[in-house]
Amino acid sequence: MNPSTRHVLEFILDNLVWFMLVFVLVVFSLFIPSYFQLGIFANIIEASSVLGVMSIGLALVIIAGHMDLSVESVAALSAMSVGILFCSSGIGLGIQLHPEWLMVPVSLLLALAVGGLIGAFNGFLVVKVKMSAFIITLASYIWVRGLVLVISGGRSAQDLAPAIRWFGIQRLIGLPLTAWIAIACFVVFSLIMAKTPFGRHLVMIGGNETATFRAGIRVNRNLIIAFVLAGAIAGLAGWLLAIRTSGASANLGAGFLFNAFAAVVIGGVSLKGGVGTLPGVYAGVLLLSAINTAINLMGLPANFTLVIHGLLVLAAVLLDAFKQTIRQKLA
Amino acid sequence: MSEPLLVLDNVTKNYGAIEALKGISFSIGKGEVVALLGDNGAGKSTLVKIIAGGLEPTSGRMLFEGKEFLARSPAEAKAAGIETVYQDLSLCTNVDVVANFFMGREITRKVLGVPVLDERAMEAVVSKALANAGTRIPSLRTNVEHLSGGQRQAIELNRFVHWGGKLVLLDEPFAALGVEQTRRGLDMIRQVANQGIGVVIITHIMQQAFQVADRIVVIRQGVVAGDVARNKTSPDAVINMITGETLAGAGPAG
Repeated sequence: MNPSTRHVLEFILDNLVWFMLVFVLVVFSLFIPSYFQLGIFANIIEASSVLGVMSIGLALVIIAGHMDLSVESVAALSAMSVGILFCSSGIGLGIQLHPEWLMVPVSLLLALAVGGLIGAFNGFLVVKVKMSAFIITLASYIWVRGLVLVISGGRSAQDLAPAIRWFGIQRLIGLPLTAWIAIACFVVFSLIMAKTPFGRHLVMIGGNETATFRAGIRVNRNLIIAFVLAGAIAGLAGWLLAIRTSGASANLGAGFLFNAFAAVVIGGVSLKGGVGTLPGVYAGVLLLSAINTAINLMGLPANFTLVIHGLLVLAAVLLDAFKQTIRQKLA
Repeated sequence: MSEPLLVLDNVTKNYGAIEALKGISFSIGKGEVVALLGDNGAGKSTLVKIIAGGLEPTSGRMLFEGKEFLARSPAEAKAAGIETVYQDLSLCTNVDVVANFFMGREITRKVLGVPVLDERAMEAVVSKALANAGTRIPSLRTNVEHLSGGQRQAIELNRFVHWGGKLVLLDEPFAALGVEQTRRGLDMIRQVANQGIGVVIITHIMQQAFQVADRIVVIRQGVVAGDVARNKTSPDAVINMITGETLAGAGPAG
């Protein structure tokens, strides 16, 4: 195969998800009446903010060659912690801080800290005790969700403090601030992954952990940081979720894990580690959101959503395997 | 022999009840090339890993530049100036040549106080280093997975030549190289040694050992079975030491 064909093929493989996104948007715009509107596109971006943020953390850990199944439950716990403290009805304690804006950094720090702590716990067990990330984070997925049920007693908190909700209401160029926060996260973490030694090291650890260890890279330290970041980012996703729903319920965010997983894999991150970029993940998130919006607009019963998401995850994993086969032929 | 760079004094390594190294003592001088020979399972790779910080010895001590030395991690060995090229290549095939060359030692510049990779500076260094060594790789931005075995090994070898340090450990570095590349690799080793860097090379190929080494150390069943200057021995005598037909510790023979 000559080099230019290979370059073209590699470019397509590397950016496959963007082509899929454009394709899907064009097809939906052509065949679904009223899909082609600025409002719809803004809605696609808006609806993908929580999932998008959660996917960043998951992607970091998968790129580093591990797995974090706990992100969904961590987001729920963070959302519930914020909800219990700063909601005024339901199980909310309705704590007021003066001045009111102080509730924003306090609730945000709380959400990040809850996530970061669970991430540190996961990271410690995976890296120091050398247990499989899949099992450790599966356990966390379960016990953290259990903790949400315990602290909420299965009930919900409503009416989040207006100072915090402001981020979900205030708009900038047609998008709520929460969506801008998600976009900012993608920009910042994309830059970290592509341009800093830390990001480069994570990619290399995902590629060949032994080689990076021999090269003197502090593998354990980097991996623990990745797990802490994944947890903290999931905490941020929980904070955004609490804002979007103006509170928290015990089953908040259920099912997000699989969507995040699908977005990450569709976005071109290989489950084998070391391959994938965050802009691709964002495209994956937008793709899922575009499909959801289409389902809504076509008036399909919401019950179909799960079936479609499940098939999408399956398609994504198959696609991952298929891409690896093509890459091997290219090599 | 010149001033000793690294001295091993009765270094042992046990894996449970198995004694992989039963007490290894020898030394490496500055600018000296030592070929480490021995049959499979003699303990050569174990020894290299102990010096390189990949394994901790069970007992014994090491002196590096006259000071007590023990590397608890490859990072510590590297900081002390010990570079290692392993038998199974230590490259990340999912990133490009430049990233591999600088693995763990990236050149950065500060942007708003944040270290940012200086790709241009790194690429310039790599292209210069590879050109000096006469290695041709089509694009430094190609992921290593697309390169041939020989090209990969060349990257590893150029990497150690570039970073140098004080002591270089090579564990069968030429396994995937062709004739011409092997010759160039052996030249590189001499060139590195001439800069005053100590070199330990593990090889199975007697001819290579005799081409490049100043001294030949043979390990057999976890002990030093022979430690002789190259010009005072012969391939046949060394083979006898490896297989054990000569008594352990016997000096020049034949």
